[in-house]
Amino acid sequence: MSQINRITGGLVDRSRTMNFTFNGKSMQGYAGDTLASALLANGQVLVGRSFKYHRPRGILTDGSEEPNALVELRSGAAQEPNTRATVTELFDGLTAASQNHRGSLENDFMAITDLASPFLSAGFYYKTFMWPAAFWEKVYEPIIRKSAGLGRLSMQEDPDTYDKGFLHCDLLVIGAGPAGLSAALAAARSGARVILADEDFAPGGRLNSETYAVDGMSGTDWATQAVAELTSMDNVRLMTRTTVYGAYDHGIYGALERCTDHLPGAGGKPRQVLWRIYSKRAVLAAGATERPIAFGNNDRPGIMLASAVRTYVNRFGVAPGKRVAVLTNNDDGWRTAHDLVAKGIAVTAVIDTRNGPAPLEVAGARHIRGAGVVDTAGRRALSRITLTDGQMIDTDCLAVSGGWNPAVHLTCHQQGRPVWNEQISAFVPGNILPAGMVVAGAANGALSLGAALTAGRDAANAQLSDLGFTAPDTAAPTAEDEGFSCEPKWHIPSGKKRAWVDFQNDVTVKDIRLSHREGFKSVEHLKRYTTTGMATDQGKTSNMSALAIMSECTGKSIPETGTTIFRPPYTPVPIGALAGRSRGKDFRPYRLTPSHEWATRHGATFVEVGNWLRAQWFVKGNENGWRDSVDREVLNTRNSVGICDVTTLGKIDIQGKDAAEFLNKVYANAFAKLAVGRVRYGIMLREDGICYDDGTTARMSENHFVMTTTTANAVLVFRRMEFARQCLFPEMDVHLISTTDAWAQFAVAGPNARKLLSKIVDADSQDMSNEAFPFMACGEVTVCGGTPGRLFRISFSGELAYEIAVPARYGNSLIEALMKAGEEFGACPYGTEALGVMRIEKGHAAGNELDGRTTAHMLGMGGMVSKKKDSIGKILSQRPDMNRDDAERLVGFRPVDRSQKLIAGSHFLTKGDEATMANDQGWMTSVAWSPSLNHSVGLGFIKSGHTRMGEIVRAVSPVHNTEMDVEIVSAHFIDPEGERLRA
Amino acid sequence: MPDFTLISAPPLAGYNSSFGDIKLSAPKDLAIVSIALPLGGEDAAKAAITSAFGIDLPDTVGTSSPTKDGTASLMRLGADQAFVVFTSATPDAERQIAAKLNGTAYTTDQTDAWCSLEISGPGARRALERICPIDLHPDAFAVGAVARTVMEHMGAIIARTGDDSFLLLSASSSAKSFLHAVELSARNVI
Repeated sequence: MSQINRITGGLVDRSRTMNFTFNGKSMQGYAGDTLASALLANGQVLVGRSFKYHRPRGILTDGSEEPNALVELRSGAAQEPNTRATVTELFDGLTAASQNHRGSLENDFMAITDLASPFLSAGFYYKTFMWPAAFWEKVYEPIIRKSAGLGRLSMQEDPDTYDKGFLHCDLLVIGAGPAGLSAALAAARSGARVILADEDFAPGGRLNSETYAVDGMSGTDWATQAVAELTSMDNVRLMTRTTVYGAYDHGIYGALERCTDHLPGAGGKPRQVLWRIYSKRAVLAAGATERPIAFGNNDRPGIMLASAVRTYVNRFGVAPGKRVAVLTNNDDGWRTAHDLVAKGIAVTAVIDTRNGPAPLEVAGARHIRGAGVVDTAGRRALSRITLTDGQMIDTDCLAVSGGWNPAVHLTCHQQGRPVWNEQISAFVPGNILPAGMVVAGAANGALSLGAALTAGRDAANAQLSDLGFTAPDTAAPTAEDEGFSCEPKWHIPSGKKRAWVDFQNDVTVKDIRLSHREGFKSVEHLKRYTTTGMATDQGKTSNMSALAIMSECTGKSIPETGTTIFRPPYTPVPIGALAGRSRGKDFRPYRLTPSHEWATRHGATFVEVGNWLRAQWFVKGNENGWRDSVDREVLNTRNSVGICDVTTLGKIDIQGKDAAEFLNKVYANAFAKLAVGRVRYGIMLREDGICYDDGTTARMSENHFVMTTTTANAVLVFRRMEFARQCLFPEMDVHLISTTDAWAQFAVAGPNARKLLSKIVDADSQDMSNEAFPFMACGEVTVCGGTPGRLFRISFSGELAYEIAVPARYGNSLIEALMKAGEEFGACPYGTEALGVMRIEKGHAAGNELDGRTTAHMLGMGGMVSKKKDSIGKILSQRPDMNRDDAERLVGFRPVDRSQKLIAGSHFLTKGDEATMANDQGWMTSVAWSPSLNHSVGLGFIKSGHTRMGEIVRAVSPVHNTEMDVEIVSAHFIDPEGERLRA
Repeated sequence: MPDFTLISAPPLAGYNSSFGDIKLSAPKDLAIVSIALPLGGEDAAKAAITSAFGIDLPDTVGTSSPTKDGTASLMRLGADQAFVVFTSATPDAERQIAAKLNGTAYTTDQTDAWCSLEISGPGARRALERICPIDLHPDAFAVGAVARTVMEHMGAIIARTGDDSFLLLSASSSAKSFLHAVELSARNVI
């Protein structure tokens, strides 16, 4: 028989039956059910096993604070562990399985651990798995991981997709209970842009769970009406299934919207969206969480929070028991008893820890005053309770109310600490709140319905008048101010019986006392030592009791004891949602060079350089491995001509009357007197004098320069120059704009470069002769019959070389033309590897040498730091220690045994020295196989290297376990006189 | 007749697609030229802009104005920086604008630095919510508003060209990633 516990009423849609399975057993529920309410409707009281002791556990709560009812939801790759049944919306075809047991849920072999509980007290792991240390990772950890832990991961890639987004509003209202709805209505009617977010799928909060009237109608009807009004307004965005999980700077909130979790499948849409909400103001109306009372064996399935019991009865039309008992320390617990009787469910007794008169009449129930529960019985579900006076009561459901904790979490996300409120025996938000936030309703300690409705409206009105909106003068919705009087009662002494404080982590009253005895007295230590307050529920039902019990042990007051720190997220956020779209190929944007399409067609292998994909080499014919291609590209370029896409180098257009003077400031060497039509190499220093980038700048006209930076530092250089222009030299007329992507630029290098380019550059636009266009010349040209272009005679390879630029849209076509024009010379394209080989052969510094630690002095360019002018970094580059005679200097290296290959990262040692840091002489920065010289060549820094030419030192790499003799030589392996590039 | 002729191939040329009520297309032959106002020469530059385009350079950074004949738009992007956005198929956009301003301002060709997408339709804002951190509510971002921002790690400029239409600019080298980001946003909300 299905749904044996289903009763009349509630907000479920009985016309829509939903089939689902739990541990393979077919069950039915209705639209509007949660998995928890559907399980209860089907009489499934036992839903899981506890974390440490594998104790049978049931459903404790009706919300996101649930510590017990965690299931593995769905199957296959979509299986998600530790899903809270209490917030899982039922859908047709749902499959769920209980967790943390071996064998069946009913007969868990691991339940034997419960018998070992005397040994598994707080700090068990710390005390037990200490010796021998060699066992920590190999033996102990696998054992612990296997027996502890909750659900299992599918170990497959998440099949769902996720997205992120940005929202903006005047007022963010967090929580759509009575206070939130009241706040949202007031704000919406004033015309402000309002976002109302609630983690539930049905807005209304407690109104859906209770039977109080609002404005003369049922609370549920009032909520429905309020939602209808809000939905009809363009200035309101109502976001259900959306948890605001964190409060960040400047009124920014993080929210997780569960878009398709309530559906059988996502249908190709993002399953969840992680929103960043920019709010001008916020009203936190997050409500309150009921807390349990600890007593002997208080974790038996069937023992639930009183508020949850009435939610299942009133909202879901489910009776969690047939003979219910209530244990309470406050007036609100009585309301549950009252509601149950109203639904025809027998209430056997209301046990009130207080010795006072009954605040409500509950027909048929005994009122037992000044008493408590000390033990319970029932193998897999509750059957009987034992009271403090020894009497026993048969019951299948015990509703426990220990008072209410305002949900202060988001108020504490920016250093705020909650303050103690005697009246409700709970912490309420303190005075330091995230900027722009006010708190209303139960979250602020206003526990009665009437107070919540008024506080919501007042909070919204105050926030809006701050923003300059005029709130229409409407009365707050009215409701009664029901009693919530409460006595602090955290646990009931239960002899040797274990009384559970944290259900999720199996922490008992005794564990907390042990923690105190062993010196872990601060709440933060208590948390780490006992693990209370950890895991998916973050102690929403347990933290308060734990610290109250600790305060009893220490004799300090609860406010003196304090709370642990509340951090985002409020409830768990899947890693997938945090990653959003950043997966696979779209992890980060990729940048393509203008010749990418051509390179793809011509055998290029690409390498990621920052976000760029650059051709690394081009395979030709049946070349066997990358070295074949790279050697050929180098030799081809050195012997004839090669072409390389160098678009990725940063380009900055610099204009202004003071542009030349500005360059003098940002470059260490002089630029002001650079002639129009000429290019100069320059180095840039950081403020601390370290060399951080190099490149060339061309003077296109008197007030117009084009700068080239390294690929890696294109953005950094631009940013620093923009800072210099705006903040350091605001009196200068200088303007910057990036043109990196605007121009497709190709290096054309090799003895035949001029001949090749003469076929491309329009003859009437530029005389290509060495006299008219010498080394380091630049100019505006036209190419291929009138397309505007720029030509620079600069060389990274050391060959006669040019860089030619055209508007990027012509780039793919230009390389085609260059290759065609170069056919007669056997021109080849070359990639970044050949580029690297040639610059090492030539002794040019690159990123490996400019590693953020090296100075111009070390790079052999100390003389370039002009003493005649001021420039960024100049003063600090003059510090004595940065100009030591024995500083490591950039030089070349070659292996004494020419057949050996140098290894980058090797450190240099003087022959005979022991390989210790104290004897370190420097390090190898770049190495390459030189096909021109037919042996390995390297660049590196070594102490006073420039004075040690010809010396043999050892290059040692402990990482590679290698050592070889190398000779210190000039860094310029090829054409040291620079004849080729001037040819 | 030259031996070689270059063919223009902008990264998103000819792109045109629909996703439910969202239309996405790459404007044809969109030319962009940046104007920098010389320090101390702002008034002369502004006067030249007014006479060249028949409208004043928008005073407020973050706003744009179309010329009266609708052939060009002036976007004020910074205290000393503006973009002229217009249609030109030839690679001489910068020269065209420089000639009009007659040396009163600095100009740089930005046509090839950017890829452009027009997103329009009732769902455009819904799609942009997924990648654009800027508040696009008409009260906060009216027709004519323009902003520099970041979408999916890519620098971008967004301009509201109509009640339901926006022009998006982002770096041309990452055009494919940018297109993917915008397309996916549209797909995710329809």
